[in-house]
Amino acid sequence: MMTESDTIFKLSGIRRTYTVGSEQVHALNGVDLSIYDREFIAVVGTSGSGKSTLMHVLGFMDSPTEGRMEFEGKDVTGINGAARAHLRASRIGFVFQSFNLLPRLSVLDNVLLPLTYGRNRVLNKRELGMAALERVGMAHRDSHTPNQLSGGERQRVAIARALINKPRLILADEPTGNLDTKNRGRIMELFASLLEEGITLALVTHDDEVAAYAGRRIRMQDGKVVEDTKS
Amino acid sequence: MNPIGDMYTGASNGLREIWANKVRSILSMSGIILGVAALVSMVGIVQGMLGNMRASFEQSGGILKLEVHPTEAPESQKHIAGISPGMTWGDIVAIQAAIPLAVYTTPIVDMRYERFVANGRRKGGMLKGVTPEFISIGSTELEYGRFIADMDIALKSPVMVIGTYLRDELFPELDSAVGQQIRLRGQVYTIVGQLAEIQAMPGSRRNRYNWENRMNYISATTAMSRYKGDDEVDEIYVMADSVEDLPDLIEQIENTLTRTHRGINDFEIRTQEERLQEMKKLENSFTFSLGGIAGISLLVGGIGIMNVMLASVSERIREIGVRKAIGARSHDIFVQFLAEAVVISLLGGLVGLFASVGLLSLARDLIPEGESISLVPVAAMFYGFMFSSAIGLLSGIYPAMRAARLDPIEALRYE
Repeated sequence: MMTESDTIFKLSGIRRTYTVGSEQVHALNGVDLSIYDREFIAVVGTSGSGKSTLMHVLGFMDSPTEGRMEFEGKDVTGINGAARAHLRASRIGFVFQSFNLLPRLSVLDNVLLPLTYGRNRVLNKRELGMAALERVGMAHRDSHTPNQLSGGERQRVAIARALINKPRLILADEPTGNLDTKNRGRIMELFASLLEEGITLALVTHDDEVAAYAGRRIRMQDGKVVEDTKS
Repeated sequence: MNPIGDMYTGASNGLREIWANKVRSILSMSGIILGVAALVSMVGIVQGMLGNMRASFEQSGGILKLEVHPTEAPESQKHIAGISPGMTWGDIVAIQAAIPLAVYTTPIVDMRYERFVANGRRKGGMLKGVTPEFISIGSTELEYGRFIADMDIALKSPVMVIGTYLRDELFPELDSAVGQQIRLRGQVYTIVGQLAEIQAMPGSRRNRYNWENRMNYISATTAMSRYKGDDEVDEIYVMADSVEDLPDLIEQIENTLTRTHRGINDFEIRTQEERLQEMKKLENSFTFSLGGIAGISLLVGGIGIMNVMLASVSERIREIGVRKAIGARSHDIFVQFLAEAVVISLLGGLVGLFASVGLLSLARDLIPEGESISLVPVAAMFYGFMFSSAIGLLSGIYPAMRAARLDPIEALRYE
């Protein structure tokens, strides 16, 4: 049984409602969900099922309209933008489908970017960045720019960027959506190895093969969790 | 993060962006460059001209000098105006005899523009007949020989004191023209003295345009007897010892001249106070009008920067989304874009300062009496630079706010 200190997220009755024109869209319509340490979660569902909104809420990019949200045992339901930014900078790592590296920065500078926004001053930035690149097998490309890299390589760099602040949770939105089969496998193996190092992972995917790497599968439909299975 | 670190990171990121968009950045800077260059060089030129005016004011005696000019007799005295002898040598004698407060007195017998011939060359210059005391009024200085002396007044000697312009034009091979002969209206004069070159500012290079160096002097009595016919003088200069003496001196001159002019009020005493006020007025109007023009061009420069920053924000919406997703606060994004605007305007300001040095040195060569223009008007440069950074800051605020307010989710979806 999971203990209280192992709980990263505890969501209860989470709703996220958008107003589009005169219509109300319930992107999340009452989600109850707990995420525990060292879990590898795949969030699946059709488009419009609310899985992206769930990721945004978990990543402190979006705030729920209703419901209660606890992070590491603390109530974070109504915290302000700066506090959410701080949690994003220090506790969460993001990996995107389209990598979202800044094209003008070198690979190393891209990886170091989150340190700019941390509250602690980091003196050995370069070493930290090189260690993160080492971890994803991209240290030899540190001075390249992103557009000199292949898709798989870019995603590795993006993962190194997510790792630089030693996050507790990495959120990935379709991380293999733009990759070929070979690279997809490599990236998923990389994620699996992160899990072994104690990082909790949650990723959104359409792909059953990708979902198969995860130990827990959450299916979303119409803004609700309709299936939550552990293997 | 600390504010200084924020600004440093912001500035280095800003420089990177500027470098990445060279052409656009240079275009957006051009407004500020022109504005600062215009402001600094305009103020520099105006200050130079005004400095010239002031120097010439001091040169001619400053605030302690009084000038007596002939005027029309007032309407009530018109019918008897003929009984006044006008301004004459007698007035000088009377002032010198009766008014101890008049420390130095000289008549001006104004020959205006004359042609001088020597060495087979012919040149124009200004000529005045004066007495020895003239040299003590104002700061005219002799370099070689002597000035008009008492015996020249007594003997109506054909002697002349020349300025450096005539020396340069008629005796270019000589340093001192003292002892040389010079012809004026067919009559031969001996040059007995040569004035020191007048420089608008100490240490500036020789300036042949400075009209004060075109002044030449002969004895007042010689001028009167040879060219004016009788003992009529054109003006009288009187020098006081101190500003406190001026009111008494003016009153005494008025009394004395009223007596010598047989009660006819056909003269006026001018103080230099008015000239000083006029100079100040001119200074103010120059400063305001040029400041206004430069201010408007800086404003236009600011609008240019705002335009470019807005374009830069909409080009980098996705980047803003990424930065926010990995932990940037709205504040961080705000500072980033503001720093970029400030860096653009600071760079523009710096280039503008360098451009102004070029413009000012051009102005020195093109404008007569331009030598007094300072190449580095420090105060104007300081204000120009501060103003341009303020413009950058102001024009950066709105685009930076737009960037900071972007919703990260929307921004990440933006294609």
